[in-house]
Amino acid sequence: MIELARVTKRFNAGRANEFTAVRDVSLTVARGGVTVLKGPSGSGKTTLLTLIGCMSRPTSGRVVLRGIRTEAVPAADGDGIEISGLPERFLTGIRRSTFGFIFQQFNLVRGITVLENVMLPAYPTGEAYGAVRTRALDLLERFGITRHASARIDLLSGGELQRVAIARALINEPAVIIADEPTAHLDSALSRDFMAIVGSFKAAGRTILIASHDPIVFESPLADAVVEMRDGGVIHGGSAA
Amino acid sequence: MILHPATLALLCSSLLTGFMALHAGWHGVRILRRWEMGSGSELQLSLERRTYLVSTLVSVACAVQLCSLFLFIYTADHLHGLFTGAMCAAGTLNANGFGYPVLLLKVANFLLAGSWLVINHADSRGYDYPLIRAKYRLLLVIAPLLLVEAFLLFAYVRGLHADVITSCCGSLFGREKPGLAGDLASLPPGPMVAAFYGGMGATVALGIRHWRTGRGGLPFAAVSTLAFGVAAASLVSFICLYVYELPTHHCPFCLLQKEYGYVGYLLYATLLGGGVAGLGTGILDRFRSRGSMARVIPHLQRRLVAVTLLLYLAFTLIVTYRMLATPFTLLR
Amino acid sequence: MNRLYCRHRNIIDFALSSLLRRTGKNVALLVVYTLVVFALASVIFFVQALKREAALLLKDAPDMVVQKLVAGRHDPIPVGYGAKIGAIRGVSGVHPRLWGYYYDPAVGANYTLLVPDDRSVAPEAVVIGSGVARTRRLSEGDFMTFRSYDGKTVMLQVARILPAESELVAADLVLIGENDFRALFAFPDGMATDLALTVRNPLELATVAAKIADQFPDTRPILKSEMLRTYDSIFDWRGGVMVVMLGVALLAFIIFAWDRATGLSAEERKEIGILKSIGWETGDVLLLRFWEGAIVSLSAFFFGVILAYCHVFFFSASLFEHPLKGWGVLYPQFRLVPVVDPYQLAVLFFLTVVPYTVATVIPSWRAATAEPDAAMRS
Repeated sequence: MIELARVTKRFNAGRANEFTAVRDVSLTVARGGVTVLKGPSGSGKTTLLTLIGCMSRPTSGRVVLRGIRTEAVPAADGDGIEISGLPERFLTGIRRSTFGFIFQQFNLVRGITVLENVMLPAYPTGEAYGAVRTRALDLLERFGITRHASARIDLLSGGELQRVAIARALINEPAVIIADEPTAHLDSALSRDFMAIVGSFKAAGRTILIASHDPIVFESPLADAVVEMRDGGVIHGGSAA
Repeated sequence: MILHPATLALLCSSLLTGFMALHAGWHGVRILRRWEMGSGSELQLSLERRTYLVSTLVSVACAVQLCSLFLFIYTADHLHGLFTGAMCAAGTLNANGFGYPVLLLKVANFLLAGSWLVINHADSRGYDYPLIRAKYRLLLVIAPLLLVEAFLLFAYVRGLHADVITSCCGSLFGREKPGLAGDLASLPPGPMVAAFYGGMGATVALGIRHWRTGRGGLPFAAVSTLAFGVAAASLVSFICLYVYELPTHHCPFCLLQKEYGYVGYLLYATLLGGGVAGLGTGILDRFRSRGSMARVIPHLQRRLVAVTLLLYLAFTLIVTYRMLATPFTLLR
Repeated sequence: MNRLYCRHRNIIDFALSSLLRRTGKNVALLVVYTLVVFALASVIFFVQALKREAALLLKDAPDMVVQKLVAGRHDPIPVGYGAKIGAIRGVSGVHPRLWGYYYDPAVGANYTLLVPDDRSVAPEAVVIGSGVARTRRLSEGDFMTFRSYDGKTVMLQVARILPAESELVAADLVLIGENDFRALFAFPDGMATDLALTVRNPLELATVAAKIADQFPDTRPILKSEMLRTYDSIFDWRGGVMVVMLGVALLAFIIFAWDRATGLSAEERKEIGILKSIGWETGDVLLLRFWEGAIVSLSAFFFGVILAYCHVFFFSASLFEHPLKGWGVLYPQFRLVPVVDPYQLAVLFFLTVVPYTVATVIPSWRAATAEPDAAMRS
């Protein structure tokens, strides 16, 4: 479970182009469910995702993760780890093992094969190459793209790219999946396929967080909680501070 | 001035190290002044990014220091032919007043930079950057020293002129000469051997005690540093004699030459490595109870103690082998 | 330990693939880097080889040579001095030497004329070095014309040409008989060019030299060690000058390397952003850049050293000979003996790889500290 308490993220503080992306947000993301962040572009969904997913630190406020075991940081209060004050090294360590990201633009590395793309997040963990490779191949098979394993990503279609991105997000066996506008480049059929995959994650006990303004996503029966955002603040669905 | 590719290489690397030291020091000052752990402000994030730069700079500087230490001694040895009366590096170093200060400062800087890296490693394992201030204060000591060393090296090389009459190590390290070098050589071999083995033995004993109980880090560090000093003195006093198989040749630099199988490199590398590790153990001991360090430091100390013991044992083994393998003997 | 090894291995893997993906830029860098290493290595190897040759040459030189001075300039020495010098304790032998320089206006070259110790050259004959033979296009049996110092023309027959192996020592050498020598140079009897001494105990050299200087204040004793030192100094100095000149090239290379490391293309920046966003931390990216730099450095070093080795020892450093050997008309053509020791490689390493690494630290860090969430925004 992830708790955000009065989280604010400000960019370019003190300068002419100062900009507050997330303003005083308090939110609880339940464990094992699908939470959807809904709102127009510029509402701060993406920034909120990065704050939840240990990708950046809030300018003020607290982010606490509960129920996550990690060797580096001992549990502070109860079961929770406050990530807001952690140095980058630990933040990244937690992120690598706990969160899997699916980006809007897929963010796959050009020039290397699909298999290598999927294995990339596991490189710095020090895990043996062979073990990671096996896992990667299993993931490719699960999403039906094994035949593209040695292909460069330039040759793949939108749907296939997304499945590569999903496979990559799962390589470190994370407990939480975070997806940013996953259906933006997909047609309705593929979008529904995507939600089916989300269903399988939920069945496996993972927590899923999706930012989307696509009705196929936020009106899906799978969505357990919908948080509506506008102008950096939560207008519906958040929790009290 | 001697315009030799090697002296130019030394000057070049010294300049680069000085530049890195300056840069690291400047960032260090900023970090010390504005550090606020836990704040999410952009300044804090930018300072945290800078810590990566500083640690990279110091790591590179430390590596360059170690290599340039050996390059320096070897170059001094290589150039000895240009000075009358100089038979090896000792003579070259004595050609003007800056030679030995540069050498001592290089060794000191290497030990300091190595200790800094040990502290940095411990600090990076802690989730609340507990040692940051201590670390950067130490950096503010190291950076100027590196600059001073660069300056002294430049002065030394500039003051080198071929054909200058200088004393050969025979007279520098001969028994009757006054001064530190002469005193070391005069130390009677019997007690020195006893002190050497005693020092090593005590280090091993305390190290094993630390390994098993996790206590006694500071005494271990103190004893290991003492053993380092005794071993260095022993090198001049009796170890050299066994390697050269001559009762009067006390020069510690000739060990690095090819005739003796480059054994000097092994001896110096193990001794310096063990010295840094032992020193690191002691420095870390001070921070044992700080925040996240309680989980990190004991483990780190155990590894450092293991490294120290391994290297010191290697040193002792090489020395003992040399002593036993030659028919030459000082002790009856 | 295993984790550490795997981590490095994986990152090296990616570093290699990363380098190969951007061949254009990296090949340019590699080529320039290799050239710089090649230039510096050639200088260092060549100087080292020359010094070694000089040392080998001087091995057979006399321990001490005594020359007479007139107003600070070298003048013929009375052979009679030799008897008195021979009486000094420590001196085991005294040899008067006859040698001099002859300028040949036909080819603009200076020959060294020498009367060998064993006086083996027949009268009216000469033994010439291969360099002389080459320049004057002489073969055995030909006659060589000399103009003596009292205006007469002297014709001497070439009895033998010295073998090519002796080029370094003997390229410009002309061995001549004593009477012909004295006639050619109008050299007075009872005088020699200098006296060569044999001193058995090297520790005594300084003492003997002092005594000679004391007893014969119009002479100067020259020790072999001084000659060796002077040669070493000259070669070292020349090598140093070359390195300084190449220092400009080195500086340009460093700036190029720094520029290349800073000027990441949008593609490269994006890639690092992606790496940061998928779980690579700053330390991992720094390690990646370090390994990329190491691979480039080691390759350039390896190729540069091999090329320099071939250049110096197979092509006799044709690019650098002139500033390093000195100028003159008669160049000995000789093959240098290859000798490369770890020390030279270490010096080379310090002059090339260390500056490159330092130059790329700050740009690498700057690239590595990209914000992970910036990738989300692009």
